[in-house]
Amino acid sequence: MIMSHSTQIHISFPSVLGYEKVARDAVASFAKFVGFDSHRLEDIKTALGEACINAIEHGNLLNADLRVHVLCTYEHNRFLVKVFDQGLKDYNKATKPISIEEKVAGLGTLRGMGLMIITELADESAFFDESDGSSCLQLTWYCDLASKT
Amino acid sequence: MNNDVTRAEQSEKIIELRLPSKLGYERVAMDAASTLANKMGFHRDRVDALKTAIAEAVTNAIEHGNQHNETMKVVVLLTVREGELIISVTDQSDQSIPPEVLARIPKIDEKFTEDDKGGWGIWLIRELMDEVEFKTAPTGGNQIRMVIHLEQ
Repeated sequence: MIMSHSTQIHISFPSVLGYEKVARDAVASFAKFVGFDSHRLEDIKTALGEACINAIEHGNLLNADLRVHVLCTYEHNRFLVKVFDQGLKDYNKATKPISIEEKVAGLGTLRGMGLMIITELADESAFFDESDGSSCLQLTWYCDLASKT
Repeated sequence: MNNDVTRAEQSEKIIELRLPSKLGYERVAMDAASTLANKMGFHRDRVDALKTAIAEAVTNAIEHGNQHNETMKVVVLLTVREGELIISVTDQSDQSIPPEVLARIPKIDEKFTEDDKGGWGIWLIRELMDEVEFKTAPTGGNQIRMVIHLEQ
């Protein structure tokens, strides 16, 4: 189904690893509803899963009393997903992510690939600091209407 | 409140979804609930029952509660407790569900001769869930509270 007007869903969940799957699948259901194909759905699911895990682990420091909020909007072929956390641990904007080759060579931990994966899979991604102290990772995908009509 | 209830509430985890009142968005609630129920260890048949019940509840909220007004939200709360999943679906209607609608038991023989083949939702929900309760939400609106128990 293709929709032209703005629609929005909001999901929130506690900062416990595993609950990101619920948000991931809810957003994927929304993305499928607005017309994304299966390949793009997998990109969205993977990137959002990583973003939510980052929010749980780093933004909210695994504090189950703190919530992760996911706001998902579709308007004019633009699928916008915002992931909010409490910003307890600042993300490092300045450091260039270590490459896979460098990781394989033992030059860094094998973890910490989330941001790189997110950057590769989303059409656009950016961090924002909110005025209330929380952090927002904004992910954007564009739905190609031409291929659906 | 006894100690068992207190412990259950202390360990509960709540997932909240806010959906527009547009048919089709019940799929979002179905998929979220399905993922959660699978994670909790529910049997596939019970997950299917849950998906059907939540789809009916959200569809009712969209169609009857919020009258397809897309600016009005349907709020779905999925509360994980030890051994059970509690699902509440709330609309923003200021009209209560008539008691006769809640009590109605559709008869399939009559449905064959009626133009309206619908009206199975509430009956289906009662058949599929372990506990079902209809009430007015603290914030207003109609709320259906459903419980499904995890069988050991």
